[in-house]
Amino acid sequence: MISAVASRLAQTLLLIFGVSVLAFLFMDLAPGKYLAEMRLNPQISQRTLAALRTEYGLDRPLAVRYALWLRSVARGEFGFSFAYNSPVAPLLFVRARNTLLLTITATLIAWGIALPLGVWSAERFGRLPDRLLSWATAALLVIPDLALALGLLVFAVRTGRFPVGGMTSLDFASLPPADKLRDLALHMTLPVAALVLSALPLLIRHVRAAVAEVLNAPFMLAARGHGIPRRTLLYRYALRAAANPLISLFGFSIGALLSGSLLVEVVMSWPGLGPLLLESILSRDVYIVIGGTLFSTIFLVSGNFVADILLYWADPRIRTKSGST
Amino acid sequence: MKNRRAGPHWRRTFLCSFALLFLSLGQAAASPQQKSIKEELFVLPGEVGKRGGRLVFALRGEPKTLNPLIAADTRSREVIGIMQADLVHINRATQLTEPALAKSWKISPDGLQYTIVLRHGLKFSDGQPLDADDVLFTFRVYLDENVHAPQRDLLIISGKPITVRKLDARTVVFRLPKTYGVGERLFDGLAILPRHLLEKPYQEGKVSQIGTLATAANQWAGLGPFRLKEYVAGQRLVLERNPYYWKTDVKGNRLPYADELVFLFVPNADAQVLKFQSGETDAIAQLSAENFSVLSRQLRGYTMVDAGPGLEYNFLFFNLNDLGEKTSPELTRKQKWFREVRFRQAVSAAVDREAIVRLVYQGRGTPLWGLVAPGNRRWGNEELAHPPRSLERARALLKDAGFSWGNGPNGESSLLDSEGKPVEFSILTSSTNADRAKMATLIQDDLKQLGMRAEVVPLEFRSLLDRVTQTKEYDACVMGIASYDADPNSDINVWLSSGGTHLWNPSQEHPATAWEAEIDRLISEQMIARTFAQRKKLYDRAQEILAENQPMIFLASPDILAGAKNSLGNFQPAVLEPYVLWNVEQLHLKNAPENAPR
Amino acid sequence: MRTRHRLAKWLVILGVLHAIVVCAGFFAPYDPIEQDRKNPYLPPMPLHLMDAQGHLHLRPFAYALKLREGTFDHYEQDIGQPVPLKFLKYGAAYRVLGFLPARIHLFGSEDTRICLLGTDAYGRDQFSRLLYGGQISLLAGLLGAGCTLSIGLCVGAAAGYFGGWRDDALMRVAELFLALPWLYLLFALRAFLPLSVSPLKAFFLIVAVIGAVGWARPARLVRGVVLSAKERDFVRAARGFGATDSYLLRRHILPETSSVLLTQAAILIPQYVLAEMTLSFLGLGVPEPAPSWGNLLSNLQQYSVLVSYWWMYLPALAMVPFFLGYLGLASSLQERLEPYKIERRSPGSLA
Repeated sequence: MISAVASRLAQTLLLIFGVSVLAFLFMDLAPGKYLAEMRLNPQISQRTLAALRTEYGLDRPLAVRYALWLRSVARGEFGFSFAYNSPVAPLLFVRARNTLLLTITATLIAWGIALPLGVWSAERFGRLPDRLLSWATAALLVIPDLALALGLLVFAVRTGRFPVGGMTSLDFASLPPADKLRDLALHMTLPVAALVLSALPLLIRHVRAAVAEVLNAPFMLAARGHGIPRRTLLYRYALRAAANPLISLFGFSIGALLSGSLLVEVVMSWPGLGPLLLESILSRDVYIVIGGTLFSTIFLVSGNFVADILLYWADPRIRTKSGST
Repeated sequence: MKNRRAGPHWRRTFLCSFALLFLSLGQAAASPQQKSIKEELFVLPGEVGKRGGRLVFALRGEPKTLNPLIAADTRSREVIGIMQADLVHINRATQLTEPALAKSWKISPDGLQYTIVLRHGLKFSDGQPLDADDVLFTFRVYLDENVHAPQRDLLIISGKPITVRKLDARTVVFRLPKTYGVGERLFDGLAILPRHLLEKPYQEGKVSQIGTLATAANQWAGLGPFRLKEYVAGQRLVLERNPYYWKTDVKGNRLPYADELVFLFVPNADAQVLKFQSGETDAIAQLSAENFSVLSRQLRGYTMVDAGPGLEYNFLFFNLNDLGEKTSPELTRKQKWFREVRFRQAVSAAVDREAIVRLVYQGRGTPLWGLVAPGNRRWGNEELAHPPRSLERARALLKDAGFSWGNGPNGESSLLDSEGKPVEFSILTSSTNADRAKMATLIQDDLKQLGMRAEVVPLEFRSLLDRVTQTKEYDACVMGIASYDADPNSDINVWLSSGGTHLWNPSQEHPATAWEAEIDRLISEQMIARTFAQRKKLYDRAQEILAENQPMIFLASPDILAGAKNSLGNFQPAVLEPYVLWNVEQLHLKNAPENAPR
Repeated sequence: MRTRHRLAKWLVILGVLHAIVVCAGFFAPYDPIEQDRKNPYLPPMPLHLMDAQGHLHLRPFAYALKLREGTFDHYEQDIGQPVPLKFLKYGAAYRVLGFLPARIHLFGSEDTRICLLGTDAYGRDQFSRLLYGGQISLLAGLLGAGCTLSIGLCVGAAAGYFGGWRDDALMRVAELFLALPWLYLLFALRAFLPLSVSPLKAFFLIVAVIGAVGWARPARLVRGVVLSAKERDFVRAARGFGATDSYLLRRHILPETSSVLLTQAAILIPQYVLAEMTLSFLGLGVPEPAPSWGNLLSNLQQYSVLVSYWWMYLPALAMVPFFLGYLGLASSLQERLEPYKIERRSPGSLA
């Protein structure tokens, strides 16, 4: 067990290293560099640009830049942002925290809705309620994420009950703690709603498919024959048997905690990783992008790791393999 | 007060004088709302407003720094403009210069020396006094080659830097190497830096590293109407009134009126519109025509203003670079068409500018035939022809140039060059700029009428810039530039063949054509000419040459659209940046209670 | 018996829908790229049978729309100008299946156009654009989903079945694929493609790339199922009988993954159709003036369109039957292929 975990850890480190190298490579391939926009600025001359380029180390070869970046990582700075003129790590941490606040809430709520709905739908497979849910899912799939987010903002303006974007009100610092929580919750409602609505179709469909598969299995009939109540049947027996693909999906949900909310954050001006990353991508502020990529990689890998562990725990059939071979 | 020996007469006098002394001390101790006798303040004409309240605006993203020496992005410069002040300022409404930190300036008869006298008794936002040493220090830092300040290039005239010298504690003398037609406009936007805060970092070589957004409020100072109060990462920047600001209104009240100014970071343009509609922000600027229409339809407590034509010009240009052997044969073949002036004139004749104004700007714009947009009051060449759209003229020009028409693969008529090959090329545009993408689509359809097949290729902006300025592998492109000042000097890199934004053939070592050489000469002359009449004559001729040769086919210029809550007083959007906040010190909330709680 | 009928029903529905899209030239009244600059953002023109005077017409007609003076996009019906709908009319030229030239359309009108779903910013007929757009979008969706699922299936099955270091290696590669910032590679790819490559071809190339890159998620799902399936009794039994790996995979294990694959397919196709909207943001989408569902819907991403021109939503509504069709097809296929035949033996079998 320990050796498995250790080897997994080693593989992860290797992976992160590989991701950083490839990310550097990709960024180098992409046309346009950080100072490109300044070139269009009539007030800045070529000489100043050339000097700035040297200062930022943009004219050194790729390998040298990578080595310098590694050194910066060792110092805990994770590189240097051209635009902000400051180390990358503090910039990322604050925003990552804000993003996680949003995505963890949204993931819990999405799964909390998808599981019961999917099970309910699987029970009534092919009948009218199931079909209605199918239509709703199809309709949700069709709406572009951006339009969904904008639509929710329009809803906020029309009803006036919700703040139009942002994370905290202007007076946040002076509010008593209970009000602070309320303010935060109010600001979170719409972005979380957007995230949940866009994640639901996938989750519901998978839960439904997986549970429908096992509902009429012989062991289910046997359990019913034993007189086990319906709710226990559904959740402790059927769901566990159907858990396999769902656990992998859950692993993905964890993996997407940092990266899945980019669009929603930008539209709803949530101060998370999304707007920072997007602007850095577009302005080629490379070290922020690489730092952000690495953060996301860590989450991705952890998500898959958790999923694998859960798989082993939940599905005895996989366990037998490791036991018997 | 136990002086009972004094008679009632004495006591009354004593009490009165004590009271008077107490009151005057109290006045002096109170926040410096009263002018101290030694300060020379700038009196602004205009509506007198109420003091107090908080102004909230949205920024299209986060500023990256507060330090003028490294600010390269628009947001940082917007914010810095509010926290800093310059010696001479261009009034955005009149487009003329006015004294700012300088009380007056004198230009020597030979035009090479500017003597600037500072106002008396001014202080930075942390209370430290301003004097000529600060000015000297500021320009020393700007001109220092090791600092790489972007301002340095503005202070290099004809290849040599200007020099600065102090005459006394209030007077500074600038010496230019050559006469400069732009004159005192060159000082606009050059913030005067606080020597008491920056001298030490400068001597340690670290002056570019300070002034980040995380700077503590008491470690940063400027001469602008507002000073730093609080920064919340990713969310907002809060500024508070600078109690030492050097402007007053006509009644003598010290400006700014507002207690606080908050910038919310809202990266998405539509989200900004929604925030304005819901009343969370007090004003909105840089609106697209569609959003302006939407907002104008339901006026809930706000007013929308079309400030008239601005200084932005959009244009189509072709790749006229001379790449030698590195050119692909495809591009060489196409460049034969592009270099033919009648080809470009034909394209210009075929473009439906009126449709562009109508469909892209919903009528809130003007068609353009030259670089100087109608928002520029003084410098446009009135004599320039504005030929209406004419497909016949275009066809005649093409026929003259040796093109012919044949039947394409789908049976439709297609334009063939002198070798019988069909005329096809791609038009690049930025994928994020919806307006220009629309223009490209309209042009594509216009050119179809001439038999040309144009593909619209949207590229992400950086990739686009890379292609146009670095690799130069493209056919044609639609771009736009917004001049930051009415003076021709703001577009100098577009005019000069050696300029970086001379987009169709940038950064040339020698002018590639005779007309570009002529333009270079005219522009360089107008740079050193001293009177407006002389400069205008030269500039008019340059515009004529540009119109004859059409390296840039001008399309349209949008109006400046803005809106504000009805409770915002002194809202006067201008067509120069910053459109709404240029008079931020005079903006006030009409329903603000005195000393509103924060 | 019932499952077979259900499957047939979905196949027929999808078949008809796709046929309409394939023959877009016939069903669409006008050229999808023809601009009408005098009529931008025309609202949909409803068809009437009874006119203002109360007369019944045999032929459905619509009223022409005139621009209200002084406005940019407000139109009103011109009651005095009815435009009759004509069936089997000759109109703009098109090609059936790309090579047979034809000019006959199901319906059309003289002079004034009847725009059933209104027009867009350039005055192009949305209904025609919707039909033609389906051609590109459905192809992109099927292509992308096909690439993704086939690669995902192979890799996931290999990882789950062989296990050990191969599993680890493949899963780490999958994680690498998921983690990398592909945006940059896409920028670079677009930059490397010469501009003379027809943007349409470039688009399909990009779709293939996205499909090829997106295999990591289905691979993990498949791997999970295979891990569990290969220890089942019937697999062990078959192995005991001397079955080879490929036989086991083909006959016993892979069918277990069908439910996951079908669900993924039903979700991926619409996702790839709509992914084109993000691609356009990068400049990699379907280029102007060609229509696609992605770029029809991307208009909705602007606030002004969202609140002013409600008919721009209609393409989304039109897509719902397609996606429902795919979801239904996936469900009924799942029923058909399931080892535990999902039947409704008695109503509420679990209640």
